[in-house]
Amino acid sequence: MTRRRFWQVFMMLCGFIIWAVQFTLIYGATSTTCALEVAETRLLGIGIVPAVIAAVTLAAFLCTAGVLTYALREHRRLQSGNAGVTDIFLSQAAILISAFSIAAIVWQGLPALILPACA
Amino acid sequence: MNVPETQKSFGRDGSEFPNPLPRPKDELQKLKRAWEPPRGLSFITAVNNTYVGQWYVGTAFLFFVLAGILSLIMRAQLAAPESDLVSHSLYNQLFTMHGTVMMFLFAVPAVEAASVYLLPNMQAARDLPFPRLSAYAFWAYFVGGLVFFTTIFFGLAPNSGWFMYPPLSSLKYSPADNADWWLLGIGFIEISAIAGAIEIIVGVMKTRAVGMSLDKMPIYSWAMLVFAAMIIVGFPAIILGTLLLELERAFDWPFFIAERGGDPLLWQHLFWFFGHPEVYIIFIPATGMVSMIVPAMAQTPLVGYRFIVLALVATGFLSFGLWVHHMFATGLPKMSLSFFSAASTAVAVPSGIQVFAWIATIASGRMNLTTPSLFIIGFLFIFTLGGLTGVMVAMAPFDWQAHDTYFIVAHLHYVLIGGMVFPLFAAFYYWVPVASTRALSECVGRWVFGLMFVGVNVTFFPMHITGLIGMPRRVYTYPVGMGWDELNLISTVGAFMIAAGVALFIYDMIRNFRPTLDDNAGNVWNAGTLEWLPNSNYGTRTIPVVKSREPLWDQPGLADDVDAGRYYLPGTVTGGRETLVTSPFDARPQYILQVPGPGWQPFLAAVFTAAFFLLLTVKAVILSAICGVLALGFVIWWLWETDLGPIRPPADIGGGLTVPVYVTGSMNHSWWAMIALMVVCGMIFTCLVFSYLFLWLVNPASWPPSGTVMPGFLPGSTAGGLYVASAILVAVASRHLRGDDRRSPSSVPLLLAGAVVLLATGSTLDLWTHWQTALSPSAHAYGAAVYGIIAFQILFVGTSVIMGLYTIARWLAGKLDSVRRATFDNTMLFWYYTVGQGTAGLLVVYGFPKLVGGA
Repeated sequence: MTRRRFWQVFMMLCGFIIWAVQFTLIYGATSTTCALEVAETRLLGIGIVPAVIAAVTLAAFLCTAGVLTYALREHRRLQSGNAGVTDIFLSQAAILISAFSIAAIVWQGLPALILPACA
Repeated sequence: MNVPETQKSFGRDGSEFPNPLPRPKDELQKLKRAWEPPRGLSFITAVNNTYVGQWYVGTAFLFFVLAGILSLIMRAQLAAPESDLVSHSLYNQLFTMHGTVMMFLFAVPAVEAASVYLLPNMQAARDLPFPRLSAYAFWAYFVGGLVFFTTIFFGLAPNSGWFMYPPLSSLKYSPADNADWWLLGIGFIEISAIAGAIEIIVGVMKTRAVGMSLDKMPIYSWAMLVFAAMIIVGFPAIILGTLLLELERAFDWPFFIAERGGDPLLWQHLFWFFGHPEVYIIFIPATGMVSMIVPAMAQTPLVGYRFIVLALVATGFLSFGLWVHHMFATGLPKMSLSFFSAASTAVAVPSGIQVFAWIATIASGRMNLTTPSLFIIGFLFIFTLGGLTGVMVAMAPFDWQAHDTYFIVAHLHYVLIGGMVFPLFAAFYYWVPVASTRALSECVGRWVFGLMFVGVNVTFFPMHITGLIGMPRRVYTYPVGMGWDELNLISTVGAFMIAAGVALFIYDMIRNFRPTLDDNAGNVWNAGTLEWLPNSNYGTRTIPVVKSREPLWDQPGLADDVDAGRYYLPGTVTGGRETLVTSPFDARPQYILQVPGPGWQPFLAAVFTAAFFLLLTVKAVILSAICGVLALGFVIWWLWETDLGPIRPPADIGGGLTVPVYVTGSMNHSWWAMIALMVVCGMIFTCLVFSYLFLWLVNPASWPPSGTVMPGFLPGSTAGGLYVASAILVAVASRHLRGDDRRSPSSVPLLLAGAVVLLATGSTLDLWTHWQTALSPSAHAYGAAVYGIIAFQILFVGTSVIMGLYTIARWLAGKLDSVRRATFDNTMLFWYYTVGQGTAGLLVVYGFPKLVGGA
């Protein structure tokens, strides 16, 4: 696999990889703080668990939005040039996957706004 | 190699084909001879996909029938209240075996088996890249599975439920061997599934028709790629879980014993990290089948190809975020549950995308109401209902009400039968003409569908109500007057209707299925994909150039041209079995893969592997060890005949293309397989580290427990240094083994021998250091976790040492040089992995307790 292809596949899957990282971090943070009984700690008046979830979700959202922007730009560039069908296919897949991932990431972070951390 | 960047266009519009006609007279004869199956008793040594695929499907179906019979006995027992047809202890074995056999011995093997048969045909490859691995996986499954099933006749079958939750499955509450049969029997069958998955990944990525770039790949290939990737990520969790539980049962290492720092919930995490993706692991190939059948039945291309690819990949990822939805009633924090609830509802979206794409395809064409179509419609109806109740149980509050009731039994059967069994029956009726001289009967098929469709709904729909009014799962009987009597009787009648449908299908198979290699029923559905090309034991006569997703519709005359020998590789260039390897993205010809032929080694290796695990179950340790050594010996003998090197100069395959018959490095198929294997190993190790951290969270104040003597950093850093030094020696050996001049310097075996010594010393030092501190693996979960990591590393070091010695042996035998070095490359990759894993393990074991301030 050439470096270009590796990059294309990575960008294609990037949205879901970011979702997976977000999921692992927010679940890991919640479980750890609850188990260690430090979830009541507050940062700037906000509970540490919602703060971590909000921060991770925001970071994941921004990263995936960046991937989507890159994928859209790349797709436009490929279509205006003499790109191969595989390149165009991979860029389309990157757009679809990153767009879907943005929705999944936001959806995944919503419970932090509603539920108590360790109840 | 002189393969151009862009694929030349061939066709009937006047442009030339890769190979001219007429073909040399003996070309086809030589091809047939190379692929001739073995005769007589040796027939069981056949390895190519046409045979192994059919045996595999047949065996999986046998287990479907056997597990179905178990369910009929259960339904007969439950038909009336207070029945004593079977005892409670037998009932426990029946429901455990029913679930276990259906999930592990039918569902996953069936979809893997179908792909062993279908993928090469669909991608116009002569075979999968590792046919002996397929044969090994099949025989291990066949022998192991049948022996496992017979335990039900001796009262030795597992009886703790198909998910084997401790403490019920622990030694204290299950002292007999029943649980060990599950842990060792199923554990090793999963190794067989992983072998198949690695084969599928490499097969999909490397052995496609020329021009079959990713955007033209059949959806079924995409589905199998996602399926195989999910197996190599998901199955390691259950492999580790079974290892840990068996270590606890056999050696009293308390991973799951709460009194000594363990936690039964750890098992549930490990089991369901595998168990929930497992549902999608069997559903995704089924959707791949549906996406192939629907366009053929509607005679129109699939609508929304890109969206379906998105849906498959999305399902693959999201399904790993659902496992805790099986643990909603375990008392985890609500916030944690809600993450899994969110993912559980999100995963419905990609499934919905696929359903709408199929409906749109049906709407845009003219659907012929054939038997496969009926099963597809049945699938859409039943699976959608199962999906809707799935969204219901994804809500934690509802799940708390329905948990462990018959509502869940109804839901999971709607999902699994709708999502997998109906598509599989559609696939039987659709693809039998590829493998048989006759298609199955349309008339009988409609009856089969009718009985199964009505039967499934009569059986399982009432169970929703039975569950909602309170009937729990896994009870062997119930008292009169609970309001469950009539509902259970209806369910039993339905179950026997399904059985009648399956029996009718078997009758249809006996009457019409006539396996053939050269004379199949042909393209009876006027389908557009390559499995409908004329084929034989060697696959298609030539490897075609593909220009669309439905080449048989878009390239008139393709079948005749392929069969006449006009496309690539019309004969055999090495005189043996071979297939064309193409690039993973654009499917440009790369090299000719010399495919291994029949041999006793995979068969015997599989039989002795099965014997090793099964004898271990009954504590016949010495006999088991002998079988293990024999299995290893046969694997080494099998490998010894591979990695043939460039036995001839690059060959002309037609169209002016000359490709080599041997390559090394990242282009080589075994390099890809080794990377996939490393992902498997990495996932097992990740799950092991997760287990270590989980147990720490259970015991944050005693990690390590008071009184534990912690080793200093010196032994750990010395062991790490030895690991890294061994990797450096391997890297230097690799450098010495470079060049096109086929050099074979004597420094290579010396460097490898040095690396073997360093690696083994590092691992021994690590073990010895902890042993010296008197840390006991059975006193507390901390010790068990530490020795678990060390033992796992010793397993890998042992494997690396064997691989190192094997590579040295090949050098001594003159089978290793700077060009013929695929074996060395594989050893090197595995070595680097072992060193990386060992170093990470040392950091965890020595560093983490200090980091959290426990030592």
